[in-house]
Amino acid sequence: MSTQAAGGIAVAPGAAAQSRGIDWSNVVLNAYILLFFVYLFAPLLVMSLAAFNAYDYPSVTQWRGWTLKWFDALAGDQRMIQGLLNSLVVALGVIGISLPLGLSGAFVLTRLQSRANTLLYAVLVSPLLMPGIILGISTLIFWKRFDVPGGLFLTVLAQASFIASYSMLLFMARLQRQDRDLEEAAQDLGASSLLLFRRITLPFLAPTIATAAVIAFLQSIENYNTTVFAIGGDWTLVTEIGSRFRFGLSPEINVIGVIFVAITIVAATLYVLFRKRELMAARAR
Amino acid sequence: MRDLVRSYGKTLTTIFVALVCFWVLIMIVLPQAFMIEQSLWTMQRDSALGVKIDRAYADLATMNYDLGNARDESAKTALQAKIDALQAGISDMEQRETKPHKIYGLQNYTAMSGLHFRIFVKSIVYALAVTVLALLVCYPLAFTIAKLATPQRAALLLLGLVIPYAINELLRVYAWLMILDYQGVINSALEALGLVSFQDKTWVPFLEYSGSVFVALIYAYVLFMVFPIYNTVETLDKNQLEAAEDLGGSIWRTHWRVVIPHAKPGIAVGCIMTFMLSVGSYSVPQIMTRGKSGDWFSQLIYRQFFETQSWNLGAAYAFSLVLVCLVFILLMMKLFGVGIRDIAK
Amino acid sequence: MHGKNVELDKVVMRFGGFTAVQQTSLEIRAGEFFSILGPSGCGKTTILRMVSGFIEPSEGRVRIGGDDMGGRGPARRPTALIFQNLALFPLMSNWENVAFGLEARGLDKRTRRERAYELLALVGLEGKEAQRPGALSGGQRQRVAIARALAVEPAVLLLDEPLSALDLKLRQYMRAELKAIQRKTGVTFIFITHDQGEALTMSDRIAVMRAGVVEQVGTTDEIYDRPATPFVATFVGENNVLSGTVAEADAAYARIETPLGPVRARNQDALAAGQRAMVFVRPERASLVNGHDLDNRLTGRFERRDLEGSYVNLFFTVGDQPFIVHEPNLDRQAALEGEVRLGFQADDAVAMRAGALDDA
Repeated sequence: MSTQAAGGIAVAPGAAAQSRGIDWSNVVLNAYILLFFVYLFAPLLVMSLAAFNAYDYPSVTQWRGWTLKWFDALAGDQRMIQGLLNSLVVALGVIGISLPLGLSGAFVLTRLQSRANTLLYAVLVSPLLMPGIILGISTLIFWKRFDVPGGLFLTVLAQASFIASYSMLLFMARLQRQDRDLEEAAQDLGASSLLLFRRITLPFLAPTIATAAVIAFLQSIENYNTTVFAIGGDWTLVTEIGSRFRFGLSPEINVIGVIFVAITIVAATLYVLFRKRELMAARAR
Repeated sequence: MRDLVRSYGKTLTTIFVALVCFWVLIMIVLPQAFMIEQSLWTMQRDSALGVKIDRAYADLATMNYDLGNARDESAKTALQAKIDALQAGISDMEQRETKPHKIYGLQNYTAMSGLHFRIFVKSIVYALAVTVLALLVCYPLAFTIAKLATPQRAALLLLGLVIPYAINELLRVYAWLMILDYQGVINSALEALGLVSFQDKTWVPFLEYSGSVFVALIYAYVLFMVFPIYNTVETLDKNQLEAAEDLGGSIWRTHWRVVIPHAKPGIAVGCIMTFMLSVGSYSVPQIMTRGKSGDWFSQLIYRQFFETQSWNLGAAYAFSLVLVCLVFILLMMKLFGVGIRDIAK
Repeated sequence: MHGKNVELDKVVMRFGGFTAVQQTSLEIRAGEFFSILGPSGCGKTTILRMVSGFIEPSEGRVRIGGDDMGGRGPARRPTALIFQNLALFPLMSNWENVAFGLEARGLDKRTRRERAYELLALVGLEGKEAQRPGALSGGQRQRVAIARALAVEPAVLLLDEPLSALDLKLRQYMRAELKAIQRKTGVTFIFITHDQGEALTMSDRIAVMRAGVVEQVGTTDEIYDRPATPFVATFVGENNVLSGTVAEADAAYARIETPLGPVRARNQDALAAGQRAMVFVRPERASLVNGHDLDNRLTGRFERRDLEGSYVNLFFTVGDQPFIVHEPNLDRQAALEGEVRLGFQADDAVAMRAGALDDA
């Protein structure tokens, strides 16, 4: 195929036949992708730009000059800062709960040879297939019976119920690639089950544990739909942002948006660089 | 299970099983069960009881009066017994009157008003529309990135998709709020063209239309369609495409007969995720409507819990939403012929 | 380190309705190099797993050095297993791999490291201690696996086709290496293979298995020269087969009527007249009739001549059957064509009860 030769990102099947002249399907696909990315990024640009506008209402069209005052305003916003701290506490709690749960679920599901396996699997992934608000509501109702009101604790539980499913799927994917012979070899050499777990299984899972922790952290920090039902009188960064929409809008929210965008881009760039070095190292071998 | 014990020993296996049980029971099954239970009853004060108690007190007074006038000793005893019974009945009724009791039934489900039902249906229809549109937009995109772009290009494009995906959904929706606001980007453009005037407030009130929620839903959840499809198409052997082309299959036929059948699980997952997120989204309608246009179903549910304090009705609405999602999932599984294990990956 | 004997006492292994190993009794002597040879799926790996303790036999007992192994898991048996894919721990260095069994036994790190370095030196891997297995060649990985198994000082070393992943040159080199290590350590080796060449070159004794049954146990010479069953005769080495009916028989010889005429052969199975029989002749025991006085004579049509180096393979068609003769590589076969007279001595042919052949 002429994908590389054409130098474009896209060559439709069948394009090789019409290598002379303009390859229209290529042009159309490229234009389509370009358009889609404009659609994805333009709103983010609008939002980010407004963070630097001196106008009191978030806007890019009523331009009153560049300013950083909204950054100052955010820095002095105690509720937002407390919200961020609460978000971090919740995220750590979610990591602490969902990783052990996900790992246990993965171990049981990869080893349980029974017809109950599929049922258990369905139950354990069901939180992923349910709207987030439902998880918040059911957690709230359940703990109400034990007089536990909404708050950070219920938020942790409600979020962990589905984030654990994510971790479980990650662990299962990793465990499926595990060489069972390694386990048997260790046992044959006299390893106890604890030594086996510590020296063979955990090191094998280590990269996945790191990935699962990062994903759990991000999922928890970003979560709104579940949290808003379980949070009670407390607040996280995101529920605080959510509640600001009810009252007057302020460019402070745009500042948060800018920070999110910046962190994401930096993280993505680091990831790419890291992967590149990893790939180069792999190739050097 | 024996397999598990053999690998990890009794202690670890016990811990694993205990954790899974906790997760299943305390975090998934029992909360759902309690929510369903809550949706199946209402607290009721018996309004007819007040009248009954009043009548009983009147009877009691008559009897006491009779008791005072009674001469016969045996009639007196009989009357006294009647009075005691009546008094017991009254205190029982009084207790019931001050302490309302549960009545089980489907009343929370049948009580949905016409307005609420219309909102329920509207939310479902819009979510379906979001799903279909997202599929149409994402399939060519996912296919192009997975099969036609060079590996380096594909990695870059994927990164370009991940960045907006990683930014908070509230903020992404908020960006559209700014675009569609009364004095937002679009209305400003229209004003610059002289089509509307901010001074006369003749701007187009986009935020008062349901369409604006639709636009934001698409923007918020479209990427949940791209990644699952990309992941399945990516595993398709490129030789199959070339073979299909070699055999003279047109582009459409190749997709219909080779790519789509291979991508089925991904398409099913994409549809399920997009639909589920759209129909159950609280953030998007909350931000986009801001009280300026009608509620969406998720907002109705929120109000039942935190504004009118009618948790039973809220639970019934919530469970209705669960049922809708469940039906949709089963439908997708049937339509694409995939099992639960293909779906959740 | 010294080897122990391994006894399989009427063991049977069933998986659900499938019997992987029919009732089998075997004794493997202390310190011997014992191979279990058979095609894939014959049950040889199952026997290995019963000895190592990963599975318990459905019936019968496994004894090592006279001790009943029933209920003892792999960690508590004096055996060490070398896996087909070696199963080296990829995230540990080579010395940590070798020392793992010692770690499991609670030895301190210094002792472990010393012992591991010694063993790696024994298998010729000085300087590779700190690398990971992924950085080694196939043959080097093989040695790490051997060192790792020897580190726990097993009385019995079990090897599950460990050479099958290597290329031919390395495989032949490792055969000698394994044999030398076995001699040096005195450990009992039980070697599983489907490659008869491997089994014949390394082993003291061989058990040949087919479909869950041990068909023959014997020294390499016995297996090769006195195969007990048609399967062994055809699976181990090459053999020409002639089928027919016993015409007459005594204790030593039988005369079998074949479609190609009568054939005289050793009467191994005490066949009687009227029984169906198969006669096996090794290609190197058959020859062209060049004035020799041979007990059995056949006429075959010459097909082709394949040069193998020091000898040649001569292919004939006798009746409608192929017949192969190995001859020393001499000029004289060059002129062969058309009908050729072949023959073999009755003592070089064995007659046995008809049965299943190696179908490969």
